[in-house]
Parts: sequence; structure tokens; C-alpha cells
Amino acid sequence: MKIFITDGSCDGFFTAVFDAYRLPDAAITSDNRIQLSFDCEVERVNADGAKSERVKRGLSKYDRSAVADILLVLRSGNGDKEQIAFEYVKTIFDKKTCVKKAFNIPSVEIFRETRDKVTLEAHRMKGFLRFTECADGMLYAPYSPDNDITDMLMPHFAARLKNQIFVIHDVKRKTAGIYNRQRWIIGRVGEAKIYISEQEKTFSELWKKYYDSVNIGERPHEKQMRGYMPARYWKFLPEKKDG
Amino acid sequence: MVDENKLKILTEAAKYDVSCSSSGSRRKNEGGLGNAYSGGICHSFTPDGRCISLLKILMSNECLYECEYCPNRRSANTPRAKLTPDEICELTISFYKRNYIEGLFLSSAVCDSPNRTMELLVETVTKLRRDYNFHGYIHLKGIPHADEEIVMKAAKIVDRMSYNIELPSEKSLKLLAPQKTKQSLIEPMKSLKNAIEYERSEKSSRRILPAGQTTQMIIGASPESDGQILKLTQALYRNMNLKRVYYSSYIPVVKSEKLPSVGAGLLREHRLYQADWLIRFYGFDVEEICDESENLSPDYDPKCAWALRNMQLFPVEINKAPLAVLLRVPGIGAKSAYKICEARKYSELSFDDLSRMRVVLKRARHFITCKGKFYGSDNAIQIKRALLLEGINEKAEQLSMFSDRATAISALTGEI
Repeated sequence: MKIFITDGSCDGFFTAVFDAYRLPDAAITSDNRIQLSFDCEVERVNADGAKSERVKRGLSKYDRSAVADILLVLRSGNGDKEQIAFEYVKTIFDKKTCVKKAFNIPSVEIFRETRDKVTLEAHRMKGFLRFTECADGMLYAPYSPDNDITDMLMPHFAARLKNQIFVIHDVKRKTAGIYNRQRWIIGRVGEAKIYISEQEKTFSELWKKYYDSVNIGERPHEKQMRGYMPARYWKFLPEKKDG
Repeated sequence: MVDENKLKILTEAAKYDVSCSSSGSRRKNEGGLGNAYSGGICHSFTPDGRCISLLKILMSNECLYECEYCPNRRSANTPRAKLTPDEICELTISFYKRNYIEGLFLSSAVCDSPNRTMELLVETVTKLRRDYNFHGYIHLKGIPHADEEIVMKAAKIVDRMSYNIELPSEKSLKLLAPQKTKQSLIEPMKSLKNAIEYERSEKSSRRILPAGQTTQMIIGASPESDGQILKLTQALYRNMNLKRVYYSSYIPVVKSEKLPSVGAGLLREHRLYQADWLIRFYGFDVEEICDESENLSPDYDPKCAWALRNMQLFPVEINKAPLAVLLRVPGIGAKSAYKICEARKYSELSFDDLSRMRVVLKRARHFITCKGKFYGSDNAIQIKRALLLEGINEKAEQLSMFSDRATAISALTGEI
């Protein structure tokens, strides 16, 4: 078996596909810590724009949304994301047609599921992200999503908080989206030092009060709450943080 | 700054209103704060399993009316509070900026004359839009008996309005909410519907109530059957173009001789919502689901119950049945029906294909064939038993919503 290890970039992935596609037994990953068995051959992939382009063009011939779908899957926090995308690519080239909705093919169904998890989390975060007001008026939202979705959230919040300055900080990936009332950019951010505004505590306390008051105690259904709002997101929610 | 205790009083006074949705509007941000997202966004979930999308509060819970079931009725001994328009605006803006909420759902008790109360509500939302430059979602409750002119003014500013019809019949309304008349609830609904239709036909860019109207009624405080309730629901959807009809299962928070001493139970509410979905998304007529004098079966969901009454229509072939027919198969929801329709374009689907696609087959298997092959039971009694077992699991799930085991058991044995 031959394993192609990429640098985690999209071009890296498509380059690996180019090299691996014709081999009978190949796998792609960006995980450096992968456990190797004895009979494994390892190749480190250098992203190659020309190879990447050829693969993308080949895919687009059969399915114009395939590349965009793959880019979504490559944002996934699933360690097998490259392999899942690779299997999907192979299915498209095998069948020589768009297989996007052939849900009875396992590689297609797993690919769809992985992609939908990314878009679902991006949707959820439009609701669950929480901004803290800083002393200078800037809004700061730290979070730790399963998938790499910060740039999917930026257009939404830039349209909505048009007259504000804000930062969305993915503390797990050490990246941040920054909006300055005109445009937004994504950059690398390690630690962020935040000075909280004077009224911040008052409003987060009011919010907690609201959260407790709007609940109907006679109808507990905690299981449903946890289903819709998984506990791993709670540490950034003021209404859930302290128990 | 809003006082914490006031916020508590006015939130608790508003929390029995079921509506929380923030969907249906595409309002743009005109240089200030906020816009609307047409799919709606949930911002949090409370331990009762409900979502928080909007800041749902009353402007005031001081009420001139004497609705029997309402904790805020005039004679009730309950703490009272009132917020000023500026307090409401400030709270909305500061919550919205922090992404706690999607917008405001403002309602009020009839704290002054109906006109004066409605005017105050309109003043508040106008201020929020104009002075606070807010373009997020606003749902405003209509006050019965307020003049049409004021109501229309509100409709031009907010995204959604709702008049609660409160109870499923005029008779019950007279008995339990004597100051509200059917006319005072239905007439404004009709005017708003006509205004929306007129404006859509004019294709003007200013939109009246882009997210339309909704309503709510209390279930189980009065003797109407499910069939009667659903007939009313269907009429509201078809004649008033309502976006949603909400059901609120009666909780005995107020002691009164005119009211039952026990709640309606969540299973009944759940079944009504299931039937409501069949009417809105699955192409069912209420006459197919439930006779006017009847209640929905607690044992089977309404689609299963319908299918059991119409076994002659089944099984249907999964590779040929049109979407509308697939949607009528017990256990196949909108998502599965869509997946089947798409996947069968590539190749004929087998039973194994369906499970690979994660279509749940426990119930459906008795009602379908795959490539002509049947995988269910031929025995009607066995099918009923299989569906009933499913139903019991579902009921147990529902019953976990009850606060204690005693109520849960009394609901199971039909005492509620």
C-alpha cells in the first residue's frame, strides 16, 4: 500500500489525487502522526498547481459542483477527510458521470454525510457564536468548531454587524476572521488579549436571567436540548458556561 | 438599563407563547445593525427542549382583560412590570450585537385601551428601526380591538405579526376570554392578509410582513375534538394564508372552575403537530386524517393511522411511486422521499440500497416493495402490532417531557 501525505492544502490534495489515482492500492491523508504498517510506502506530496488544475477540470466535466463539494469536505475535522474525498473522486471517474445523488453508493453517502456535517456546523454557529464587547467597542467571539468554518461565517456576520468591528477566533486552529466595517480577512492568531467593556457583565447577566426565565420548568426535555445544542459547544455560551 | 427583576417578570409572562421562529424574511441591513435570514436561526436551547431565536417579552403584563386561563389576567395576584420603548430597544440591540438573539418578539398585555397599547407597541418598533437603526427580525403581537389604521402602520415596520385565536371555538372563547371576540381576532388577520396580497400583486419593493402571519391556540382547556381543531387549522392555512398555527397544550397554572384541573398532555400536542405537518407538507386533507368529532389516535402517528385504514393502497413500489405517494408511506419522511427519488434515477434500488441510504425501514417495510419484492408482513394484525410497538417507544420519548413519573403514568393510562 502506498500512502500519500499532503500538506493539508487543497492543491496538495488534488495533486495527491493526480499521483494516486491510477495505483491499485493508495491512500491520501494530511495526518503526519499516522500509524504505518510494515508494508506501507510513504510519499510526501508537494502541491503542484498544474496537476491540481487538471484533476479539478476532469471532475468538473462530470459534475460542476464536485470541486466545491470537495472543498467543503476538506474543511472537515474528520481525520479521514482526504480519504473520503478521494473515494468520492474515484467513484466519479469510475462511473464517468455525476454521482452526487446516488446515495445508495457507500462512498457517495459517506461523502454527503461528511459534507453535511460541515455545513450544519456552519449553520449552527450562526446561532451559537457569542460576541463579547471589548473596552474599545470591538466584538470578540472565541470558539472551537469541529470543522474549519471561520471564513464561511464571515460574510454572514459582516452583512449583519455592518457597523461594528468584530473578530471571530477559532482557538483550536489558531486562526481568526477580522472585520473592520469595510472588509474582512482571515489571519493567524495565537493568543488574544481582551479587555472587556464595563457593561459586558451586566448584559451577560441579563441574558442568563432571560435564559432561565423563558424556560418552562413543568416540561423538562433536556435530551432534546442536548440534541440540538451539543454540550461541546457550551463552554463559549454565557448561559451555559457555569452549569 | 433594564432592571433584572422586570426582565424576569416580563419574560415569564411571555414564555407560554409557543412561537419562536425567525424564518421567512430576507430583510437587508441598511447600514446599521442586523438583517434577517430567511431560514431562521436558533441561538440557544432551554432545558425544556425549546429553541430561543427571538427575545420574547411583554412590554407590560398589567392587563385590563380577564381571560380565565391567563396568569396575567386582571384579577391575578402576580407581580407587574412595564418597560419603556427605550428600555426594550436598548435590550434588543445589546443582545443582538452579542449574537444572543435573532431579533425581537414583542407582545403586551392590554395595559391601557387597546388602541393606546397597540400605539405603544408601534412606537417601540418604529424607534427600534429608525433611531436604533435596527434591521433584524421583529415579530409583533396584534392587540385585539385596536384600530386597523394602527395595525397597518405596524405591518409596514415588522417582519411578522400574529393574532392568537386563543381557543378552538367561538363558544370557548366567549366562556374563557370574554373580552376577546372572534371578530376582534379574525378581522385584523383578514385585513393583514388582504394588505399582503395587494402589495404582492403591485410588486412594490416595500414589503408588508415579509414573514407573514401566525397564530396560536390552547389545546385541552376546552372540549373541542382534534378533528374540529384540525379543520380550523386547515381553514386558517387556506383562507388566511397563515405561515404557522401553533398549539399550546394547556398547563393548569391558574385555578378556575371553568378550567380543567389537569393539563392536556404533550402527546396530544405532539399528535396535532404531526397532523399539521401532514396538511402543510405531505399533501393531506384534514378529512383524510381525522373525522370532525374524533380525536387523533394516541397509539399511532397520524400517517400510520391513515395507512392502516387504507391498506388497499399498499404496498407501493419504491422505484416507481411518485414523490407524493412516497411521502404517504409510514416511516418515510420528506428527506428520505427526496433521496429515494434522486437515487433511483441512477439505478433501480434494492432493499439493501435503502438501508445503505439510511432510510429507516422498521415501519416502511410493511408498505413498500423493492424491485417487486416485499419485505414486510402480510398479516394485518402483525403489522398493527409492529407499528404499535414503535408507537410505544415514541410515547415513552414524549412522556420523558413530563416532569414526574406519576403524571407520565397517568398520561399513559389515559387519565390526562
